[in-house]
Amino acid sequence: MKHLTQEQIVLHCYGDASDGDGINQHLQECSQCRAEFDKVKAVLAEIPPTVVPEPPAYLEQKLWLNLRDKLSSEKPARWHGLFARSRWALGGAVAALVVAAFLAGRFWPNKAPEQKTNNLAQVNPQRVVLVAVGDHLERSQMLLIEIMNTDPKDRGDLSSEQELARNLLDSNRLYRVSAQKSGDPAIVPVLDELERVLAEIANAPSDPTARDLEEIRTRIQSQNLLFKIHVVHSNVAKERETSSQPAVNQKL
Amino acid sequence: MEVTDAAIVAQVLAGDRDAFRVLVDRHSRNLYYVAYRMTGNEQDSEEIVQETFLRAYKALERFEMRANFGTWIYRIAVNRTLDFLSTKKTHMQKTYQITDEPDPEKNHEIQVETSQPGPDRMLLSAEMKAKMTQALGLLTAVERVAFTMRHMEGKSIEEISKALNVRTSAAKNSIFRAVQKIREQLEPLVSVAR
Repeated sequence: MKHLTQEQIVLHCYGDASDGDGINQHLQECSQCRAEFDKVKAVLAEIPPTVVPEPPAYLEQKLWLNLRDKLSSEKPARWHGLFARSRWALGGAVAALVVAAFLAGRFWPNKAPEQKTNNLAQVNPQRVVLVAVGDHLERSQMLLIEIMNTDPKDRGDLSSEQELARNLLDSNRLYRVSAQKSGDPAIVPVLDELERVLAEIANAPSDPTARDLEEIRTRIQSQNLLFKIHVVHSNVAKERETSSQPAVNQKL
Repeated sequence: MEVTDAAIVAQVLAGDRDAFRVLVDRHSRNLYYVAYRMTGNEQDSEEIVQETFLRAYKALERFEMRANFGTWIYRIAVNRTLDFLSTKKTHMQKTYQITDEPDPEKNHEIQVETSQPGPDRMLLSAEMKAKMTQALGLLTAVERVAFTMRHMEGKSIEEISKALNVRTSAAKNSIFRAVQKIREQLEPLVSVAR
């Protein structure tokens, strides 16, 4: 009698051997092959299962933050040239119309102009944005300084800082997207870097280990983030002052 | 109703890069589990998942809209893991050689476990795990991936051969060789257990 090969036996354990019926038949008749088959089955049954640890809760966010930059350096997979450009142009036009409609509704005098107070007519939308970005940068700066100054040995509970980081993360996204659309080259990379650090703080354990904290701090330091935020914040403050000049002059 | 993966792919192909994030949100965890089963390392798994999405993005126009995006990206992940394991093989062998040496600390760990209830079984289980880790270190990248897909994930030979882009006979042979190597390591312990 021709015995089964080792390969036939192993594959039959998984039901993958090509002549399953023939092998079954043989196993009923041949005690030697059946003993071998039982041995392989026993080994396979004893293989310990791989316990996969849960990935970090912020896995998706972390992946996306890393991917986003890399994708931007890649050409979109299929770019329909003119069609795509016209889609963007159309999107831009619609967005511009929406913004214009909003601003018109907000600032267009709906009563007789002479009855309006001067203050309301002189609100400068650009200044409003600059004030908001300035405040955002200032709050972010304070949070990062706080993290940098936390003693790793007495780090306590970071939940309030994390709450603040989450709030800042949302507004940061808005400002980054706006800055990208307006093509402001100076502010976009800083907001981008800030977003990553804020996400890292927001998603860190609320009772971080000294190592967790050290990682965040290293990231802040290695990117000179505090310095960059300080520079952008100063520039924004200057611009804010400049944009407020006409209103002051008009008042005078 | 949830937007289908195919619709999101179409959106990305039309130029909406940020829509790709939805696919990352939907599939990254499953891919992470797959990568971890094959590499046994969290950091490596994250790296593999990231590379997988990057490759998928670059190859998105080759995705057949009628196909299942999950299956498609799974195959990319398997290939990425295969590349990863191939390049890491040297390192893994070194690790294996080190753990193969008599290690007093390791022996100590096992002795500590024997002091707990059900010592024989626990000791065997710990040894089994250690031997399995060693056995996996002996497998080639293809053997390891094929074996994991078949044994741990219950994928069919056809799925494995498609993912690895090899004939079914080659996929079967890889699984066979993997089982033989694992058997060599585990069999002495299995006979003790029985």
